[in-house]
Amino acid sequence: MDTFLEGVGAIGVACTLVMLVPAVALVLVARKARLTVALLYVTGAALLTWARAAGHWNVELSGAAVPVAAVLAAGVFVIAYRAKGPLSLSATGAGAAAGALAGWLWRPCVGPKLGEILDNTDTEAARTLGLMLVYMAGALLPALLLAVLPHAVPATKRFLDRLPVAAAGGAVGAAYAITLATGRYDDLVGELYRIATNA
Amino acid sequence: MKSSVVRYLALGVLVVGVAAIVWTAVRGDVGDDPAAGPSTAADAESTLAEVTAAESILPDAATAEVTVAETTVPPEPIEVLGEADTLTGLDGWLNTDAASLEEIRAANKLTVVQFWTFGCRNCKNTLDALRQLYTDFRDQGVEIVGVHSPEFSYEADVDNIIEASADLGVVWPIALDTDKRNFHRWQEGRIGYWPRVYVIDGDNQIRFDRTGDGRATYEKLHETVEQLLAAA
Repeated sequence: MDTFLEGVGAIGVACTLVMLVPAVALVLVARKARLTVALLYVTGAALLTWARAAGHWNVELSGAAVPVAAVLAAGVFVIAYRAKGPLSLSATGAGAAAGALAGWLWRPCVGPKLGEILDNTDTEAARTLGLMLVYMAGALLPALLLAVLPHAVPATKRFLDRLPVAAAGGAVGAAYAITLATGRYDDLVGELYRIATNA
Repeated sequence: MKSSVVRYLALGVLVVGVAAIVWTAVRGDVGDDPAAGPSTAADAESTLAEVTAAESILPDAATAEVTVAETTVPPEPIEVLGEADTLTGLDGWLNTDAASLEEIRAANKLTVVQFWTFGCRNCKNTLDALRQLYTDFRDQGVEIVGVHSPEFSYEADVDNIIEASADLGVVWPIALDTDKRNFHRWQEGRIGYWPRVYVIDGDNQIRFDRTGDGRATYEKLHETVEQLLAAA
């Protein structure tokens, strides 16, 4: 529970926004598979963050990896938009790939519980992987709640299904890809955070 | 029937999720046990004075009991975790006349190296514990080096770093690792984390390496420094 709440508490932190903003945008875009995309995003982000911490994924975002990441970022938004249904390959693939990309890019500000997870990935693989999923569910909770919202309050579905809402998500996706390609994504989020918090 | 079950389930998730966000926001800090201590350097000194005063009025028997308890449980030996790297390609130093990590290491028995950035909340959570450590051990040959590795561009501005360091009461040497060259090299093969703290002994060996702002982490740091000093 503490691990989940630490993730929830990290929602407003700039380090986490780097991962959360694309998640929310992707859920807005994936009109026919919001929940699938959100759940797979959480899973993909947790898996790759864990893999990096455990030393199983050491590819740095530099050189040829930069355009690959940018194309992947743009691609997952297009695929998520075109997903035919919640169980389609495009919905699951887009969610997992987008989450994995976020986990790859993430450089976390580490709290007590996340610190304990990261310090023990190599000695307690299963436990830390499970806890990483729990932490990630907390940190990405707004995206999950947005995906659940049309199921809980059907009246919101009509609004969320409107094209301008998907277009807003798509615009964030495009900005995500462009700023990734130019290496400015972290700075953009940081600047927005600084303005929001008057830091 | 089936759709109403899904709806109520979704509503439940929504309510619990929103409640978690509200509760966490009201509660304030992240996690259950971020490193904590006095909130300013002045508070740290007054806390130290209070502890010293409290110890001085302890009855002899109580003091003896504490001594017996402390001596009957031998501390675990502190592992050597490998040779420490150096700091290269820095953009300069603040709060010190030293020009290199080697210079600081040579002048002290132990060096605590922390990778941090002033905008990171979890890094700020550790500063009280570091101030306490500085108060307790600076005159025994312990130096702290805060390697400032900015995540965002506004954290890379030296004037902002100087201002934030003064506001946060960071009085120990700060190495400016603006392009995060050292941040990535020291944490090679893993994600770069803020905060991450190391203790380097007089033989340039890493004796402590932890991630995050946990209270337990910084209590262990304090304990490790104390134990290494006793053995030095």
